[in-house]
Amino acid sequence: MDISTVVNFLTNYVYYIGCFGLILIGLYIILVKSNLIKVIIGLSILDTGVNLFLISIGYIKKGTAPIFSKSGIEAKNMVDPVPQALVLTAIVIGVAVLALALSLAIRLYQHYGTLNLRKIREQKW
Amino acid sequence: MVNPILLIVVPLGLAFTIPLFGFISKKIEKYVPVIGMLFNLCLSIFFIPKVLEHPIIVSLGGFPPPFCINLFVGPVAIFFSAIISLVGFLVSIYALNYIKEGATEKYHMLYLLLLTGATGVVLTGDIFNLFVFFEILCISSYALVAYLQNKEGIESAVKYLIQGAIGSSLMLIAIGLLYGQFGTLNMADIAKNISSVSSMSLFVPLVLFITGLGVEGAIFPLNAWLPDAHSSAPSSISAILSGIAIKIGIYGIARIVFTVFGASSLFMFFVYLGLITLLIGEFSAFRQQNIKRMLAYSSIGQIGLIVFALGIATPYGVSSALFQLLSHALSKALLFLSVGYMIYRAGSMNISDLEGMGKRMPLASLAFTIGAFSLVGLPPFMGFASKFLIVRAALANGGVLFIMLIAVVLFAAVIEGAYFFRVVQVFYFKGQRSDIKREEAPVTCLIPLFILVILIIVIGVYPRFIMNILNSAGSELINRVGYIKGVLG
Repeated sequence: MDISTVVNFLTNYVYYIGCFGLILIGLYIILVKSNLIKVIIGLSILDTGVNLFLISIGYIKKGTAPIFSKSGIEAKNMVDPVPQALVLTAIVIGVAVLALALSLAIRLYQHYGTLNLRKIREQKW
Repeated sequence: MVNPILLIVVPLGLAFTIPLFGFISKKIEKYVPVIGMLFNLCLSIFFIPKVLEHPIIVSLGGFPPPFCINLFVGPVAIFFSAIISLVGFLVSIYALNYIKEGATEKYHMLYLLLLTGATGVVLTGDIFNLFVFFEILCISSYALVAYLQNKEGIESAVKYLIQGAIGSSLMLIAIGLLYGQFGTLNMADIAKNISSVSSMSLFVPLVLFITGLGVEGAIFPLNAWLPDAHSSAPSSISAILSGIAIKIGIYGIARIVFTVFGASSLFMFFVYLGLITLLIGEFSAFRQQNIKRMLAYSSIGQIGLIVFALGIATPYGVSSALFQLLSHALSKALLFLSVGYMIYRAGSMNISDLEGMGKRMPLASLAFTIGAFSLVGLPPFMGFASKFLIVRAALANGGVLFIMLIAVVLFAAVIEGAYFFRVVQVFYFKGQRSDIKREEAPVTCLIPLFILVILIIVIGVYPRFIMNILNSAGSELINRVGYIKGVLG
């Protein structure tokens, strides 16, 4: 495998590599860290990765916004607007989840005096 | 002609007007969910005969499908919407008196949003729209689990939120993968083109979908949040979560697997998965001392039974799964509602502290007993008819394997009987606590209990009453081609 195929691969798939990297980092933080705030940050990174993934599905290099404002613009150079609409919705949902999670974290701290999830074990199977 | 979109729009609109009603008077806000759900119930029943003739397709925004978001109001959708609005209506009557402390206007608002999300999931024909309604359902249930703001409630809400958020992110990745391959979000359009793509590239989105929806549906490895969340929420919310929220996850899985992917090679996997979930749920329920945890684990077991019956994947199997789903929704709502005031009176959730309740609260105890008998599957009640149909469907499938699997299912029913009869025995045949006065639950509690008991007995004695819609719902899930033709013409 020579160097140019690697470079080609990277330039073609760099968005996918980046967003799945973010998703895996987020999952790692959620699974491993014990501090609730860190877990919530992990959730946020996971969300960001998913949103980037959705955007990169519809992205075209040097593409324009899908608006027929000037004459002479061809449809094949336009980016796909549907994933962007999806991401707008997904961002709003993500914000709602994060806000709820943070307010629950405040309450949890008031009850237990700690945010360490390993120490909060009232309920078991 | 009335538009089925009103089933989503009216409760959604009412939910956001609740704070305004709160400005006028604190007393009327709690009647808003009752009105909204009564409206939905009437509308669902009104649509049933029309939908049985042919499904109604609603195209939003004036474009024809697949370019618009469309609602597919078929027998499955109207069946689920009727269950949601029926249970939602009864529980909202119960909550009139039960929810007194805390920010009550927020409770009623989130409650209506939860039911709107559930209705939206079952009506929609678009995978991203399904995701959005699913998130409305999930976020409002996270908040409602923490409603009492006590230690247990907050802790279990945090657990539920983290697991649910991971699940919905996985689902969003799956939606992205499907959109990347098909360039459409319409379920029927994806289902039409699904065979044009290699099965390897469909495997990842399918697994992600099943995992994401399975968290809400509490299928075996993903059910760690359920016993905590269901036992520490207020009893009215436990009834809704057990009766409706987890069923929506199961509906999502069934719709994705049967209609969108048509993944017939996965059916046996669901049979085994359901069986494992059933056994885990029933064995864990058997050793619980806390009555609400026991009911929560029993829900896991019943979900396993529903998944098992769905995995049989014959028209008989699917319609018996839907029947079991209805039976569990009504019986578990009855159990949680009747237990709510007993816990309130006894001041404890331990089963041993509830002794003598048969004398202290005779009507609520009787309702609990009927719900328990129905869930176990004793003859005059609805649970018998549904379990009988599952056994019949499995035997009709033939083979020694299914006979053995049915033996395991019946063994699980015996365990279920053992722990429910233990509770009934504590109610009626153990000693009595002298510190509790004889006082029945209030009327707002007894009305929903009475209606649920009547329904359980009537449908149990005369199941033909609903077999019509169950059979056409079962054939809708099995018949992918009919679904695709119905939407795309």
